[in-house]
Amino acid sequence: MSKNMNLITAPLRKANPITVLILGICSSLAVTAKLKPAIVMALSVTVVTALSNLVISLLRKGIPSKIRIIVQLIVVATLVILVDQFLKAFMYDVSKQLSVFVGLIITNCIVMGRLEAFAMSHSPWESFLDGIGNGLGYGSILVIVAFFRELFGSGTLLGYQIIPQGLYDFGYVNNGLMILPPMALIIIGIIIWLQKPEEEK
Amino acid sequence: MSDRYIFRYIIILVAIVSVLLSATAMWLQPYQKRNELNEQRINILKAAGITGVDNKNAEQLFKQHCTDQQDGDMPLYVIDNQITVIPMRGNGLWGPIWGYIGIADDGKTVVGAVFDHKSETPGLGAEITTDKYQSQYKGKELVKNGDTATVEVDAIAGATRTSKGVEDMIEQTMKLYLPYFEGNE
Repeated sequence: MSKNMNLITAPLRKANPITVLILGICSSLAVTAKLKPAIVMALSVTVVTALSNLVISLLRKGIPSKIRIIVQLIVVATLVILVDQFLKAFMYDVSKQLSVFVGLIITNCIVMGRLEAFAMSHSPWESFLDGIGNGLGYGSILVIVAFFRELFGSGTLLGYQIIPQGLYDFGYVNNGLMILPPMALIIIGIIIWLQKPEEEK
Repeated sequence: MSDRYIFRYIIILVAIVSVLLSATAMWLQPYQKRNELNEQRINILKAAGITGVDNKNAEQLFKQHCTDQQDGDMPLYVIDNQITVIPMRGNGLWGPIWGYIGIADDGKTVVGAVFDHKSETPGLGAEITTDKYQSQYKGKELVKNGDTATVEVDAIAGATRTSKGVEDMIEQTMKLYLPYFEGNE
């Protein structure tokens, strides 16, 4: 039981795919200007990593090792297309905001990385939990970064005005730099910096 | 594992996947089509100054307000017998941009404008979809002395190419429709 729990909790902090393994940086720069797309992206990646881990783990004994990367890619691509289609049908506005980045989950190193490193050699249930853990680990950083970027870049959270109009009247301005992708990299850098000492203990 | 096994494995896998994907696409297509159509209706009504339209009441409100519609080479929608909404297409920085512009019955004053894009940068070029940017067009005149005039609005800082794309898109579309508005006067 505790071993299984560890599969979910480890990727949240000490084996975090973004801050420790430095994977999936590209999409975390792209979708974190606003909180809402970041949350949907986090959920989409979690669904894709969990399900692709599960499917690959179920197939792992039959997959010919010569073509295992191709098989992994087929499974991931199928799931991503399914997620994309569902978003288009039932969450149209969010799917528009995420635009190409849903498709780019296919190339997210976290997904392929977990398949190759974990699902190919573990049982389906463990793999499924590992996928959820890594998806959430990725998502948690996305949400933290998006929180700061939307708050300081647009003065809003989830589209609602947070910074009061009074402050703007005093001459406060939104920080345009927060909206640009480099700022996401800097925030991720700060998170890594804060997390590092704790890891070395 | 023999080559034969590998071939058989991959053929079966691909067959399963393609059936699964086609089935899902066919199942979800009506929903996606409806979303796209409703989005178009919402944008047309918004360009004509009618807000508060959402996915649920789009179809009904559109039928209620749209009094005339032309398809073909020069599509346009007449809203409440007064406002002409014309669709536009242009190029942003990374990909196509498009939108609708509502023109009052004098044939030159903008009632409202809606823009959208495929892949402009979030927070920069993508800001053309915000009300703050779009509302700048309200009340501007597109025609001066019988020719199209460039509309001057505050461009988005850091997204010069996208802003310029919107500007060009409006001017070029208006050039096409100029004969239509002149004939109407």
